[in-house]
Amino acid sequence: MGTAAQGEARSRAWRLWITSGPGLFWIVLFLLIPSGVMLGIAFFTNSDFGSPVLPLSLDSFSQVAGYGILGWSGANFTVLLRSLLQAGVATSVTILLAYPLVFFIVTRPASLRPVLLLFAIVPSWTNQVVRTYAWMELLNPFAPVSHVAQVLGIIPPHLGLMPGNFAVLVGLSYNYLPYMVVPLYAAAEKLDWTLVEAGRDLYASGARLFFNTVFPQTLPGLLSGIILVGIPAFGDYVVPQLLGGDKAMMLGSLIADQFTFSPDWPYGAALTLIMLVFTCIGLIVFRRLTQRLGGGEGAML
Amino acid sequence: MNAVPRRIRRVLAGISLPVYLLLYAPLSVIAIFSFAPSLGHPGPNLAAYGMLLNDPEVLAALRRSLTLAIGSAVLGTMLGTLMGFGLSRFRPAKGGGFWVGTLPSLIIYLPIIMPSLVFGISELIFFNFVHEYTGLLSAGLLTMGIAHVTFQAPYVALVVYARLAGLDPNLFEASQDLYANAVKSFVFLTIPVVRPALIGGFLLAITLSIDDFTISFFTAGPGSVTLPIYIYSAIARKGSSPEINALGSLMIATVIGVALLYYFVTRHRERSTRIPAVA
Repeated sequence: MGTAAQGEARSRAWRLWITSGPGLFWIVLFLLIPSGVMLGIAFFTNSDFGSPVLPLSLDSFSQVAGYGILGWSGANFTVLLRSLLQAGVATSVTILLAYPLVFFIVTRPASLRPVLLLFAIVPSWTNQVVRTYAWMELLNPFAPVSHVAQVLGIIPPHLGLMPGNFAVLVGLSYNYLPYMVVPLYAAAEKLDWTLVEAGRDLYASGARLFFNTVFPQTLPGLLSGIILVGIPAFGDYVVPQLLGGDKAMMLGSLIADQFTFSPDWPYGAALTLIMLVFTCIGLIVFRRLTQRLGGGEGAML
Repeated sequence: MNAVPRRIRRVLAGISLPVYLLLYAPLSVIAIFSFAPSLGHPGPNLAAYGMLLNDPEVLAALRRSLTLAIGSAVLGTMLGTLMGFGLSRFRPAKGGGFWVGTLPSLIIYLPIIMPSLVFGISELIFFNFVHEYTGLLSAGLLTMGIAHVTFQAPYVALVVYARLAGLDPNLFEASQDLYANAVKSFVFLTIPVVRPALIGGFLLAITLSIDDFTISFFTAGPGSVTLPIYIYSAIARKGSSPEINALGSLMIATVIGVALLYYFVTRHRERSTRIPAVA
């Protein structure tokens, strides 16, 4: 009996590797190994041409911490803080917009809901460069929106709403709003409304009713939304590059510069390591939260 | 849904309609500007579109984008389908330990989780080294394609896996009872069952490829300028122009057209309220 079961298990394992093997191997070869190589480069020394050479050193990390030929500068910390802040604020904006939108859709007749959801998502199917470029057209100094802001005294005359931090925030929120809408919608659609009724029968209303009945039920969706928006927003490259300018630089642009304009691969790799560390912290924290709240993941792998 | 009073539903609508407007405002602005008067063309006109269709650079970029999207989607769908199928059918139901249970999931989620900038730069460095030491894989459509397959396959695997997860495992037992071998059961049972997921996964893979900029940007070579890269460098070089507006409008119109088509086709096939994926 034992050998039969073992044989069965072995044939299953063999079939698993025959089917899943090629794809897994592809990802390992073309992503896992390259990213390992990239992180390894952080521990090499920079050559005159920006490529990594021996000996191994931690120079790149002191560069990340702000030490350079000209002494210490806090510029890198500012960039890191700005990236975290922009990602955090953009995530909050998408939450504030997605909740009313999702509950607007959910309270419509069932036949209308897929269309309304589709219309909320379609803009995200266009290319990110086109989407961001559209905001350049809308926020530049000669656009009517900037003109209104100039007249109202929000910005000085002759300046536009871009480039700058505000434009980056708008671009990030716009780009990632659908990533908040979809998981929230999935949670809101399954909402148990009898709990809301029960709450109302107990004379709860307004914010109290919402936070005691609706909010806990949508929390798993909200947490996945925060991951789906916060992490890519933190590491975004296109939006700060096109809408940001020098004073609104984010970590993505700083990293990319080390591989394009002024090559310094070890420094760039060390910065990437920092980005990955923050990404992983975010992932782990929100995954733990989701697990603690018992959010089932259904048909997840 | 009568749990929500009329007053609150009005507030919800009052916030949501402007949000919808905001979602489409920038896209419409591009479309409007694409007809804007330009030098030698007073009044609203189609001159920018004419220029676009006669620009060999744009047409070449379009051809490359389509080649890249379709080529990578074919391979990405094949690898992804096999992964989704294998993991749902042959992985032990419980646990399986780290090597069989956890590791494959970690590998599949890696391309999805990794910030695309890190993804792109890792590939840039890797292809650079490979080219330096072997002379193979010089930056171009091939390296872009390899990178695209790497992020398409996991998404396809997830779609196929989700489809198979909702399936009665007895079906596979039944096919075995009827003396179907592994290949036969794959061709006559699995493929028909996952066909909607297969088509959905393939379309998703194409969308992902066309939507991507960052990873393409870092894996591209001088001779492999695709549409998003063409637009990006045009903006970086000379800011906005009616031609770029026209190109952007055409891309937006294509996406909205495909989305509507997709909606009407799937609406007739299945009336359930399915959640479309974000790409």
